[in-house]
Amino acid sequence: MKWMSGSTFAAGLLLLCSLVSPAAAQEESVSEADTAHVTHAQLLRVLEGYTEQIQSMTGDLEKLKKIKFSGYVQARVENGEASSDSVKVAGSPYAVTTANLNRFHVRRARLKMTYDTGALSQAVVYVDGGADRTMRLLEAYVTLLDPWTPLHDHQLTIGQFNIPFGYEIERSSSARELPERSRAENVLFSGERDRGVKVVSQWTPRLQTTVGLFNGGGVNSADFPTTDPTRGKDFLGRVRWSQGVFDVAGSYYFGRNIVPLTGADVMTDKERFGLDVQAYYSMPALGGGTVRAEWFLAHEINSDSVKALVVAPATGNPVRLLKAGANAGHLATDASGGYLMWVQNVGDRAQGVVRWDTWDPNADADHDQYSRWSAGANWFFDGFTRVTLSYDAIRTEARTGSKWTDPQDNLWTLQVQHKF
Amino acid sequence: MKRKGFASILLVLTFLVSAQAAFAGRGITVKGSDTMVILGQRWAEQYMNQNAGQIVQVTGGGSGTGIAALINGTTDICQSSRPMKQDEKLKLRDRYQTMGVEVPVAKDGLSVFLHESNPVKDLTIEQLKGIYTGTITNWKQVGGRDATIILYGRENSSGTYGFFKDNVLAGRDFAASCQTLPGTAAVVNAVSRDPNGIGYGGAAYTKGVRDCAVRKDAKSPAIMPTAATVHDGSYPLTRYLYYYLRKPAQGDVKKFLAWVLSPAGQKLAVDVGYYPLK
Repeated sequence: MKWMSGSTFAAGLLLLCSLVSPAAAQEESVSEADTAHVTHAQLLRVLEGYTEQIQSMTGDLEKLKKIKFSGYVQARVENGEASSDSVKVAGSPYAVTTANLNRFHVRRARLKMTYDTGALSQAVVYVDGGADRTMRLLEAYVTLLDPWTPLHDHQLTIGQFNIPFGYEIERSSSARELPERSRAENVLFSGERDRGVKVVSQWTPRLQTTVGLFNGGGVNSADFPTTDPTRGKDFLGRVRWSQGVFDVAGSYYFGRNIVPLTGADVMTDKERFGLDVQAYYSMPALGGGTVRAEWFLAHEINSDSVKALVVAPATGNPVRLLKAGANAGHLATDASGGYLMWVQNVGDRAQGVVRWDTWDPNADADHDQYSRWSAGANWFFDGFTRVTLSYDAIRTEARTGSKWTDPQDNLWTLQVQHKF
Repeated sequence: MKRKGFASILLVLTFLVSAQAAFAGRGITVKGSDTMVILGQRWAEQYMNQNAGQIVQVTGGGSGTGIAALINGTTDICQSSRPMKQDEKLKLRDRYQTMGVEVPVAKDGLSVFLHESNPVKDLTIEQLKGIYTGTITNWKQVGGRDATIILYGRENSSGTYGFFKDNVLAGRDFAASCQTLPGTAAVVNAVSRDPNGIGYGGAAYTKGVRDCAVRKDAKSPAIMPTAATVHDGSYPLTRYLYYYLRKPAQGDVKKFLAWVLSPAGQKLAVDVGYYPLK
């Protein structure tokens, strides 16, 4: 043990010497250098060394700068008119639903990563972890820029992305003046995204066209969120004319819908027309304002018709069939809806907004219409944070005994959004 | 319970309004172009000297950074050495419902810098395009010595980068070998140390390097960036320098802008090395 200690001590001494010696030598050379003149050549060598290091770091930094992260968080307090402390338990296995809408809520928590080579291609991956706390893929696409025009006037995008129909769908939730999109858009393009390909062409500074092919289900489809049951693809076309203070666009969408049944499925056409206009103005004392309108006409599957005409599978009878005598032609209905909204900035930090929106899922049926008046105020706390206070007065009809009444479902929302 | 909810909302709004009041009265902020940062600071200094109590803060970062700040509301004025792009105007409109207000505040000649020892006297726009896109790589291809051309340029947030890309490269991408530097002073410094280097930047920065005359095409005369050629527009790389606002100027911003455009403000632009509007 004593020998071991001596040996360890000796080894430590040796190691110390080996460490100290170069330091001592260096000190000696430094003191020599101090007494001598530093030549121009020596200085140049030192500078070249630093230049090489800086160039190497700059190269690494340039690579990192091609990766861009952005995103936003929307945290809310919601106060629903119909809220109560009751909890419903039903089904087997049982499901719990709450009537209470007074809650703290994280509506969106989104992170977008863009890899931008700055050359002729770009890739984007965009995820959301808000609402139900499950991280889900919102968008993932590659964009190729045409190499034959200086400003890359033609761009092809393939992957999962916003459906380029109308105005409201492609407008980021972080930029929208009210917390949610219109009802018509929510129903027709639930989830706003689909998998497909699109080509956007800027023919002149004012004229833009978009054509695309899509699976058709959309990311929120109950049956086909990531697959396509049909070989044919849905087609989309849009023409936008943008003057600057007045923009107008027309959109068209055509595809096929399948209602999966046990046995032969039912296939129906899906057709949508859209027209949107935006007019902008400026008031010197207040700031800018805009009036926007968008209208949708559609012929497609109506979820209420499906509920009424299809027998849903149950534990004792695990099949999905058309009800006896049901006409499959009635699964798709003529629908229409849209919105009209007004936004007024008040100075640089405040903004007021009013919107009326409507949705009629079946032109041939009564009591299924939806309409909503929304009013809101935005306060831009700084360049990245916005506080929104909004009120939605919703009008629908529900049968109470022999009468149709408007359920109490109006909603206050206070939202704080931080965008980075 | 509902009363408590409304009280909470009222409390938050009161806090926000108070916080906003605290932010108010911080003076005028000007942000953007590095090319214009010295000019902007000189304007601010002289304006504050002549107008007691007025505060004007000027910072750089590049035209792109200034435009982003204008859009997100963190600056009152953006100074830019290039016009705003369409997508930037749309972003501004998305937030403020206006396309912004563009105010030209001075003129500038964008110089092409060469090392003092470089024998090349002039270049055409087409030759410059070839050099910066990488199709011309040796000085002897443009009448110089047999040596590889070393490219120096600006970062893509710079308005000078954008102007050069749009007006010289016709929108094409820069060669991958182009070394990007954080400011025109750094470009000038790099070219002054590199006999085979070439760079570009605001004419006011030409010190320790030589300006290269520029021809519109092979048949056009070679023009040097001088007060006369920039003023009459005969120098091919003449550009305006801009101030951008979100809405028509009002209050203190309007007063400052009027002073910048006044004979005193324009004279100061000339003193710094730029050119007046008239």
